[in-house]
Amino acid sequence: MSSRPTSSSVIASADNIFITHEGRHLLHDVSLKVIKGAINMVLGHNGAGKTLLLSTLHGLIKPQRGNISGPIRKKQKMVFQKPVVLRRSARDYFEFLCPELDENIVLDWFKKAQLEAKLTTPARQLSGGETQKLALIGALATNPDLLFLDEPSAHLDFESTSFIESQIKAAHYTGTTIVMTSHNRAQAERLAEQVLFMENGEIIEAVTAKKFFKSPQSLAAQSYLKHY
Amino acid sequence: MEFLVPFKIAFALLVSVDPELMGIIKLSMIISVSAVITSLAIGLPIGAVLASVSFPGRQVVIILSNTLLSMPPVVVGLIIYILISQSGPLGWTGILYTPYAMALAQTVLVLPISIALSRQVFETLNNEYCQLFLSIGISRWKQMKVLVFDARIALITIALACFGRAISEVGAVIIVGGNIRHVSRVMTTTIALETSKGELGVAMALGIVLLSTALLVNMASQLITTHFKKTGLDV
Repeated sequence: MSSRPTSSSVIASADNIFITHEGRHLLHDVSLKVIKGAINMVLGHNGAGKTLLLSTLHGLIKPQRGNISGPIRKKQKMVFQKPVVLRRSARDYFEFLCPELDENIVLDWFKKAQLEAKLTTPARQLSGGETQKLALIGALATNPDLLFLDEPSAHLDFESTSFIESQIKAAHYTGTTIVMTSHNRAQAERLAEQVLFMENGEIIEAVTAKKFFKSPQSLAAQSYLKHY
Repeated sequence: MEFLVPFKIAFALLVSVDPELMGIIKLSMIISVSAVITSLAIGLPIGAVLASVSFPGRQVVIILSNTLLSMPPVVVGLIIYILISQSGPLGWTGILYTPYAMALAQTVLVLPISIALSRQVFETLNNEYCQLFLSIGISRWKQMKVLVFDARIALITIALACFGRAISEVGAVIIVGGNIRHVSRVMTTTIALETSKGELGVAMALGIVLLSTALLVNMASQLITTHFKKTGLDV
């Protein structure tokens, strides 16, 4: 890593984590600190290890070496690039994601996401954008301390992307720490405060977003931004 | 046109709602439905555990349950007969030659079907849901409840498959039921008996009922599958 944020307020961290599969390093000696309250953007080419890093930080995958620390399971959530949708109505799926919410609050979230007409629709019949919105509000309604978003607006239209970004900003405003990936440079520039740039399973740059987009230090990041 | 005579007698018996015939049909249904309910009650939890829990010997249990799928019904009947006969370890139950013994035989026969089919369904769902379960951090018990609930449509078709197998069973139930008139005579055993006596009319009447039942079960299964495929609720 060329430089690391030095804030003392760290919500999650990884220390020298390694994940190898069939002799290939998928994550190689990755160390990082997730700054509390910030929007941390993980950038890199396809196959750089972004999704794997998020899954590992969230505790879905156990590294072969190294340590992970973070909030307790209930205080962190992850929205997958392709959300896992249960075979039940949109409302029942939402209530599975965040149980014990008052009916009014549930309806408020659906209204916010403009999904109130879809309450009784089988969740698996929703469009890609609607599913992504439903998964996002399902995560946000639990008021997590740490939220992982794996390309939350990939392949979505402007309206859905705009809703998702507004919700990310709102969650950030209320103190939720966000760790997300994106292949959309404009979105990354709009949202990111910290950037973690990955290449071949390693974090090779961890700087503020301003610094990263203005003057990336590594050649890989410079090349990436040229084509991004 | 002599071969049409049994058909004529069969239709006459069915149209006249012959009490003895109806008694046999009713008993067949009660025994088979009981067997299906019992086999599902035992088989579904086993299927769910096999699909989602890793434990030593899991593969052995799966191979065993799959092997039992092809167990000959007469062998099942024979084993149950030995177990529940007077000198057997379960002789004290006194259920030999009763509908209970027949329901037990059918349960044993369809149990491997309910285990194997439900394991496949639960495995498919569990593979799909495991990341979400892990992410949310719900208990194993809650995971099982989600799997069972979300597999509900598939479980209906499994129940229908089990019923189809149970209602058409003859080898095991004739051994443990004895085919006693007004006590343990069901459709399949009556067909076997009446055919051997040359009373083809009664046999044909019950054959028509059995075939119609099979047709209805398959139609219901097909309708359920087609309908829920459209809604995305199928597995």
